[in-house]
Amino acid sequence: MVEFAIETVDLVKRYPASVKRMVAGRGGHTVSLRGILELLIRRGAFITALNGVSLQVKKGEIFGLLGPNGAGKTTFIHVLCTLILHDEGEAYVNGFDVQREPRQVLKNLQAVISGNPGFEWRLTARQGLEFYASLYGLSRREANKKIDDLLRFTGLKEREDDMYQKFSGGMRRKLVICRALLQDVPILLLDEPTIGLDPSSSAEIRALLHDRLSREDGKTILITTHNMWEAQEICDRIAILYRGKIIACDTPDNIRNLVHPETIYSINLQISKFSKTHEKMLEELRGMTGVRNLIPLVSTEGTLEKLTLHLDKNYAVSEVLKALLAHGMGIRSIETREPALEEAFIALTREELRK
Amino acid sequence: MRFPASLRTERTRFMVALRQITAFTKRDMYGWSTYKTAAITQLISVLVGVLAWGINATYRNRPVPEYSTDYISFLVVGLVIGNIVMPIAQGVERRLNPWTLETILMTGVSVPVFVVGNISWNYLFSIIIFVPQLLIGIYWFDAKLSVNLYSTLFAFAISAIILLGLAMVSTGMRFVTKSTDPITWTINTLSQLAAGMTFPVQFLDQIFPGASSLSWFLPQTWVYHLCREAMLMGLPLTSPQMQYDLLKGLAFAVVLFPIGYYIFRWGLRRSKRDGTLGWF
Repeated sequence: MVEFAIETVDLVKRYPASVKRMVAGRGGHTVSLRGILELLIRRGAFITALNGVSLQVKKGEIFGLLGPNGAGKTTFIHVLCTLILHDEGEAYVNGFDVQREPRQVLKNLQAVISGNPGFEWRLTARQGLEFYASLYGLSRREANKKIDDLLRFTGLKEREDDMYQKFSGGMRRKLVICRALLQDVPILLLDEPTIGLDPSSSAEIRALLHDRLSREDGKTILITTHNMWEAQEICDRIAILYRGKIIACDTPDNIRNLVHPETIYSINLQISKFSKTHEKMLEELRGMTGVRNLIPLVSTEGTLEKLTLHLDKNYAVSEVLKALLAHGMGIRSIETREPALEEAFIALTREELRK
Repeated sequence: MRFPASLRTERTRFMVALRQITAFTKRDMYGWSTYKTAAITQLISVLVGVLAWGINATYRNRPVPEYSTDYISFLVVGLVIGNIVMPIAQGVERRLNPWTLETILMTGVSVPVFVVGNISWNYLFSIIIFVPQLLIGIYWFDAKLSVNLYSTLFAFAISAIILLGLAMVSTGMRFVTKSTDPITWTINTLSQLAAGMTFPVQFLDQIFPGASSLSWFLPQTWVYHLCREAMLMGLPLTSPQMQYDLLKGLAFAVVLFPIGYYIFRWGLRRSKRDGTLGWF
């Protein structure tokens, strides 16, 4: 029994680079001596897109692959769906080797690649799906049933006889997902599934992926995205890919906590004139073990209105509240804010850049 | 009658492949039929092309002893066959576009299905317009055909294998070069001059001595030659000359087809290795 839907071990992919690019200096215009030397020593010019990527995606989970532009996300997806051959390492899809058993791989996995919809502009949605159903080897009866189901499932049934070119961005994205689902494979790869879509279409796609395909149908889904909020919302686990390397891989919460092991509280107080007593209270709060940062908000009229505290994850906020009440402070409301995944992403990638 | 399991599997595979090829054909036909103005002008330009060349040929009419016929009959057959040959030699590369190629390859279709599927609409369309073109040649320009049906079918079948090999060479190279590939360009350019579409290849020797020998290395020469023998000379399958030439054509096809398959696979693999499959 294969434990992982997707598994890669030390995956390396290098693209041949033009000599002109390799010998160019940092600005890309002048010839650099270092570039020429590297070219001579290495006897070839390469750009490393994937640099030893080892990743395991469990069956049934939604896995997010995050990374800045050029990090290697699309290359990784292309390797898994047999469209790019890797140079070193191993990659398996449901236990099948992507280079040695591509046919088996494609029976277990389908991908939606951004910018590559696969539909002819002047064919109707139904004609396009019928074409792919035939290529997948479905009988006419199977194909008709499947296409009807998928078009209903995605809400496109009424537009099935419209040409693909008449579809909106959201409808096109749904149609492409229909194409990927024709073969009923257990693993779906989606390269930036909501890029360029309006908020309601994005929400529909997210619900489709999370609620229907993952939770109801039990499919394994790997998505690449730049949208941190989206990754945090629907992914069970994420990995951050930077310059061809995995720099973090965990649940979204754990990744956020890697960089920010704190919770941020905003405590709105009963407004009172700022006094020496308040100063003493703030000093006491700052001395508490779990308090990382404390910022009082004092208005221009000199009244204390709000406290913003960064507390250790495991520290009980009740200790702070007790102290406030002991100093006779009235509390109007408390808001909590978790550090966003985006902050963690930026911090992690900056840290890598400094290395 | 119940077939053994292995035969049933083969039959199912064959039926699936047939359905896949039909799907490619339907896709191209639907796409083509939506460009109504382009479709009509394409039809007209093909027919006008035959008329223009026919007029030219009538003007320069002279006998062609190599095929025991006159020049107009020789030219009409050359032109109608040429209208089948030329679109097929470029048929697949026209379909190699970045927004569908990767998705199609992800379905796991085999190389032969991909190539045959992508050229079959062009081939069918050429066959459809083949008959009216011939009729114009016969009734308007008095082309004299002596067709042997069985030899013609054999000639067409061998030609199809040769053209498929050529299409695979062209597609494989196009995967790598993206724009015009030097091999197909050379073959097609030389063919315009030396494949014998508008004059017998032997005529080349009068200008460049020995040049006609080169012609027999061009795939298109065999297509024109076999079809002309079957359609102009009316040679039956029992004729030793027809048998010998069909055999030579077949040998050419048998050599070219695997080379084409190999070049296609090489081009696809090279393109996957370079990560340029979706680039065009």
